[in-house]
Amino acid sequence: MALLSTVLALRRDPRILKVPPYLSLLCILGGIAWLLVLPLNEYSRSTYVSENALLPGQVHTYFTGSEHNIFRAYRHEVASQVEKSPQERNNHLGDILRSNNLRVATQNYEYHASGRNISNQNVYAVLQGPRADATEAIVLIAAWNNMAGEINHSGVALVLTLARYFKRWSLWSKDIIFLISGDSTSGPQAWVDAYHDSHSPDNVESLSIKSGALQGAVAVDYPAGPWGHRYDKLHIVYDGVNGQLPNLDLFNTAVNIASGQMGIGCTLQRMWKHDDKYQDRLTTMLRGMISQGLGHASGPHSSFIPYHVDAITLQTVGDGWHDEMSLGRTVESLFRSLNNLLEHFHQSFFFYLLMQANRFVSIGTYLPSAMVIAVNFSITSIALWVASGRSTSMPKLASPSKSPKDKKENPPTTVVRRNGDISIVPTAAIEITERPLFLPLAFVLSTHFLGLLPLYIFNNTPKPSLFLAYSLAMSMTSVLPFLTAALLHILRGPTEQETTLIQCFSLLFLGMFLAALATLNFSLSFLVGIAASPLSFVRGLYPAPKGEVEGFATRNRGAISVVGSLLLAALNPVIVIKVATLYWGIDVVDILVKAAEGWHVWGLWTQVVVWLAWWPAWFAGSVVMWSGLFT
Amino acid sequence: MLIDRQKALLFAAAAAVRLLLFTAFPSLPSLLAGRVEVSTPVTSFKRLQEGLFLYTHDVSPYDGGVYHQAPLLLPLFSLLPNTSYYPFATNLVYIAVDLLGANALMQIAESGQSATTRLFKSSRNDLRWSSVAIGAGFLFNPFTVATCIARSTSALANLFILMAMAKASQGASITFVFALSIAAYLSMHPLLLFPPLLILCYDARATRSRQAPNAFTFTAIYALGLVVSLGSLLYISSVLTSSWEFLASTYGVRLLLPDLTPNVGLWWYFFTEMFDSFREFFLGVFWVHVASYMPGLTIRLRKQPLFVATTLTGIFAIFTPYPSIADAALYLSLVPLFRHLFPLMRYTFLASSTILYASFLGPAFYYLWIYAGSGNANFFYAITLVWSLGLSVVVGDSLYAALRDELDVERPELRGKEVKRI
Repeated sequence: MALLSTVLALRRDPRILKVPPYLSLLCILGGIAWLLVLPLNEYSRSTYVSENALLPGQVHTYFTGSEHNIFRAYRHEVASQVEKSPQERNNHLGDILRSNNLRVATQNYEYHASGRNISNQNVYAVLQGPRADATEAIVLIAAWNNMAGEINHSGVALVLTLARYFKRWSLWSKDIIFLISGDSTSGPQAWVDAYHDSHSPDNVESLSIKSGALQGAVAVDYPAGPWGHRYDKLHIVYDGVNGQLPNLDLFNTAVNIASGQMGIGCTLQRMWKHDDKYQDRLTTMLRGMISQGLGHASGPHSSFIPYHVDAITLQTVGDGWHDEMSLGRTVESLFRSLNNLLEHFHQSFFFYLLMQANRFVSIGTYLPSAMVIAVNFSITSIALWVASGRSTSMPKLASPSKSPKDKKENPPTTVVRRNGDISIVPTAAIEITERPLFLPLAFVLSTHFLGLLPLYIFNNTPKPSLFLAYSLAMSMTSVLPFLTAALLHILRGPTEQETTLIQCFSLLFLGMFLAALATLNFSLSFLVGIAASPLSFVRGLYPAPKGEVEGFATRNRGAISVVGSLLLAALNPVIVIKVATLYWGIDVVDILVKAAEGWHVWGLWTQVVVWLAWWPAWFAGSVVMWSGLFT
Repeated sequence: MLIDRQKALLFAAAAAVRLLLFTAFPSLPSLLAGRVEVSTPVTSFKRLQEGLFLYTHDVSPYDGGVYHQAPLLLPLFSLLPNTSYYPFATNLVYIAVDLLGANALMQIAESGQSATTRLFKSSRNDLRWSSVAIGAGFLFNPFTVATCIARSTSALANLFILMAMAKASQGASITFVFALSIAAYLSMHPLLLFPPLLILCYDARATRSRQAPNAFTFTAIYALGLVVSLGSLLYISSVLTSSWEFLASTYGVRLLLPDLTPNVGLWWYFFTEMFDSFREFFLGVFWVHVASYMPGLTIRLRKQPLFVATTLTGIFAIFTPYPSIADAALYLSLVPLFRHLFPLMRYTFLASSTILYASFLGPAFYYLWIYAGSGNANFFYAITLVWSLGLSVVVGDSLYAALRDELDVERPELRGKEVKRI
């Protein structure tokens, strides 16, 4: 109790309000520094396979010899279908699968997003495992078009060959589904939605044949044309929609088999050259974080992960000496491992950052960095709450001695007796000030609701008008804070306390959103937290109370407000996204189209975070900053 | 006149928001009805529909062990068109329930019983919010809105609790007893509100009439009235279902906790982990704990019965076996009646931040546990602990403030001095 009352007494100390900005800064710098040390050997770990049942690379693979001729034949069959319509193409592919005694079905899908019509057809076949009871299944996918839009000639041919090859084995204790999807993102999404009966029948046809619960999925992306192409490395893509990741065991098994058993090098996050130096590890990790933070579908496997089906894509890259048979053997060995699974993947990590094919950090190690960044907002918010409860007539500690004039108007004092000690303190220091909550709460809440408007517009505008909409959003959001601050000043003229409370609630909400988000999508929370971190230091500048010497900041508050607001305008989420697209040389319209497709098809909610958490916080901060101009 | 116009505007706005949510997002009701935070096994609308189906097909609604709600809800809801095809009528009923609840809450606020009772007049009793503001706090509370959209039957229980409080604070004793008996019939634990509300009713009566009624006969008459009214409700139920087995399926479930579906309360995790041999003992302990607040608070805060009743609803929102955000919504809507205590409360920011954080992290952690599969039950349980902590801080802090307020009246010389808890 004594300790508690000491702590409570401490909050009366004027010095306590000086600490939080430094503490916030420390949190932000700490969060960044934390992330930067992760690639070091001391903080990251080597990957390992936790699930004993997997036994990666312990079986001999037999996919060789005459299978190669069959593969080449199928590759020409695939090449003959390039010009055909999806229905004709899938009839032909279905006939090939049917000739191998598999049950075959097709599925049509048609989505509408940004005024575009995304329609195509999936074809799939089910191999009933000779030792299986149709309760579990694993999926082998090849999308007709890969993520780059190329036709996946060899990938589709490999799936056809493996279907024929797998059918002859008697050891499968799970059903195997071979899926040739119409495209790389929406096709698998339509299929997996329909598999779990969570599709809308207007857009997606129901599946006529099904198998058991999906245990894992592997996609093959090998766009080499009918005359083949030897590749150098396997690029393993593992990001799911909304930044969800597959179980690390699946990734490790793939790396283990490819590099250990087959001698194929593995790479990730487009790091074609990786020297295992600090710099490379950091770049890999940051690329992984950006990809996770954007939350977009990165391959045919992405749609499976939200259904808790662990999935990866194996992509061939570079020029080298590995051929299609080694890829086929890798897939065979991977499926033999998956076939061994006794339970659903659960042993290893679901939250990790990879920095090399065999090095990772787990959530316990990296989560604090996003958390301290989220906490920095909460700290500032608490400090602003305390500050808003302070009486505004509180005299500064140093001010009385400066000029003799001040001595005339001594502030009213109170005598405090406690435990036999007597002290004289200014009455203002122990007064409790009532806080007007209505205006700040109404402002912050309506700001968050205002974010629904751009969210709706960007998800539903047709593609040709998107550029115009984005430019309008850029200009509107840039001037809106100034106009709002002016309007507030004319209508009401919010007091310093109210302005402080606006900033307090806005940061409180931001801190809360980011802390909750960090548990779901660490990278997005971290990136938004970094981009919004200057908001912790935004204050509305007001003239000093009467009878007090004005400091530098209060005297030049107009100039500081304008400069601060202009600096803050560069952190407008709309501008930040634009700058990022310029940096990476991507068209912003493409991003918006992808985002709208994600919203309507994949269930992506990155834009919800941008418009309902990040943008309102920036807007409230800018209004607070501009309000200094009008005092 | 001005108040009337404001009130009409408020009710129209609240109804419009709900209608908008019902019509603009047709999948929202079933989404919310499936959330464990909103719907518990004893209040879920989906289970009500199941019971309704069995009832309209002349099967006992309690066969199958899904439906655990009061039997009289069934004929009421069977009058409405089938909700799966024509949800509009049901939605209107729930909107009306919320509006009536707000109306009752505004009556409580207008009675002024929160700050000035027969035996006690707070020194800050001029500090209060208008009844319209308090009604708005109830109607636009996101938890109330979510409960309404999810069409959880706890909205009905809340309505009758609020009506019982309103009638008690007006001294309308017969309607008070009737409303409270319906509340107790629907969700059992509001029975514990009877003593403080009876005192409230007695005080309201005594201030109105010149001569205070005899306390003993007053208590005896209305206790008997409660027994009779509750008894007749139960009797009608037994006639309706033609057996008494509904007692075991409704109150038995509330008492003995056979359904361990997660909720925002503290019981489910504890009883999941427990060895069966200790179950009965701890059920007893938990229930005694809940019930024990009633006599203690009623005696200590004899002079502020409405505050006791409010605090008890807070206790229910934390410590009953199947709480949901509807119970928290009721408590948090009643707290603004005690605006005069706010200057004395010390942890408002802490408590409201805790509740806010918990209401965002709760769904996130539930998602990690159930859908993503990357978390486990401890994630969600930890958040329900935080949620309960937030509510307990409000309960504890407001209790402190109420006691301090009494002290300020009794010993004005101590006003503004620091006090120590011993």
